[in-house]
Amino acid sequence: MTSPSERDDASLLVHAYLDGELDPAHALEVERRLASDPTLAAERDRIAALRDAIGALPREMPSPDLVRRIEAMTAATPPAATHAATRLATHPSWHASWRALAASMLVAAFLGSGATWLALRPGAVETTADLVLANHLRALMAPQPFDVASSDRHTVKPWFNGRVPEAPRVVDLAGEGFPLVGGRVDVIGRVPVPTLVYKRRQHLISLSALPPQAAAALAAGPHTIAGFNTLSWTDGGVTYWAVSDVAADDLAAFEKAFREAKS
Amino acid sequence: MESPGTKPGSGDDQARFRTVVLPHLADAYTLARWLTGNRSDAEDVVQEACLRAFRSIRGFGGVNARAWLLTIVRNAAYSWLGKNRPAALVMVDDLDAVEQQHAHGAIERDAVPQTPEAALIAKADAAQLEKAIAELPVPFRETLVLREVAGLDYREIAEATKVPIGTVMSRLARARQRLIAKLGTSER
Repeated sequence: MTSPSERDDASLLVHAYLDGELDPAHALEVERRLASDPTLAAERDRIAALRDAIGALPREMPSPDLVRRIEAMTAATPPAATHAATRLATHPSWHASWRALAASMLVAAFLGSGATWLALRPGAVETTADLVLANHLRALMAPQPFDVASSDRHTVKPWFNGRVPEAPRVVDLAGEGFPLVGGRVDVIGRVPVPTLVYKRRQHLISLSALPPQAAAALAAGPHTIAGFNTLSWTDGGVTYWAVSDVAADDLAAFEKAFREAKS
Repeated sequence: MESPGTKPGSGDDQARFRTVVLPHLADAYTLARWLTGNRSDAEDVVQEACLRAFRSIRGFGGVNARAWLLTIVRNAAYSWLGKNRPAALVMVDDLDAVEQQHAHGAIERDAVPQTPEAALIAKADAAQLEKAIAELPVPFRETLVLREVAGLDYREIAEATKVPIGTVMSRLARARQRLIAKLGTSER
């Protein structure tokens, strides 16, 4: 990951180390140097403190008005009205889209309900990958991507009792770079399905555990849908579906870590 | 490239836009907010970026929607800054000159007059920290925000900002050191 020409600069390596950019061999090297060099260790502490402070800054959300305007821009051109669509595409002005605003508000309201918007895709046959992705997207747009927030698997696992027929296997993967952040119950093919939420840097990974009786519980190869990667596998009679916007490699590493973790 | 019947703005494009762009709107807004410095300018930039994204939604390769959108926001912000606040971009040239001297990413440790305790940094209040970030030169600021707020990795930042990974590393390190120096020395 790090180019060899940077190797002489211990400080840069510490930054890269804290950013999770080093391969295990370099990370180990940095850890050794940190252990024997108090000045470098102090620098690590300062960088880590700064990162925490930045991470704790309040995040301003885009105003609902902006979101409405953007949704209006795309929704203002329904599929049938190709004439209007051409005009929007060739017209740099935003105002071109305002004419159809009234019609689009209806669509926006429908989208706002959140429950079924993926079904708007005309003629789309919903595969399990689509359903899993829809749940993930809905979670991303919700104030919280999970219903129970905890990095403790002993909190998350019992939470599922009584909510789904069988609590899923919950493992702690923080050591592998995938900290657990919580869990939620999704619905896939009318079956409530336990879903665990893990984190990879700032990216979220949703992992749904489909029981064998779920009709949709068939594993499929890796997919990429609209920039999101999905991956599924079957283990102990349970079909797992992972979806995230992390790179396919990262998702594969996640599968490996999850399979190999001791529960 | 466009065939009749699949004009931009068709239902598929809308669906794709909703799936690809909307989930990352908050990150897009945050980046624009940090690059322009205020809400209303950030909203203009995000609107413009979303229009660009919508128009080129079919060109999206399907790999990393967040990085793709943030790259568009970043470019839109640069166009906006060039038009409205060219002074903010002038220093980019000077910065390149400075970076040339540090071709191997060496960090000016001497530039940090004191080495504050980590505890002091942890106690810095939000307003003070935000002000310090806002005062960073744009290239440092965008690198820092793409990493710390949007969570892109070095390679994604290199692609978004069109510089080598070594430059990303040195910009990020120097942005952080400037902040550390500032937070460590300003007494409250």
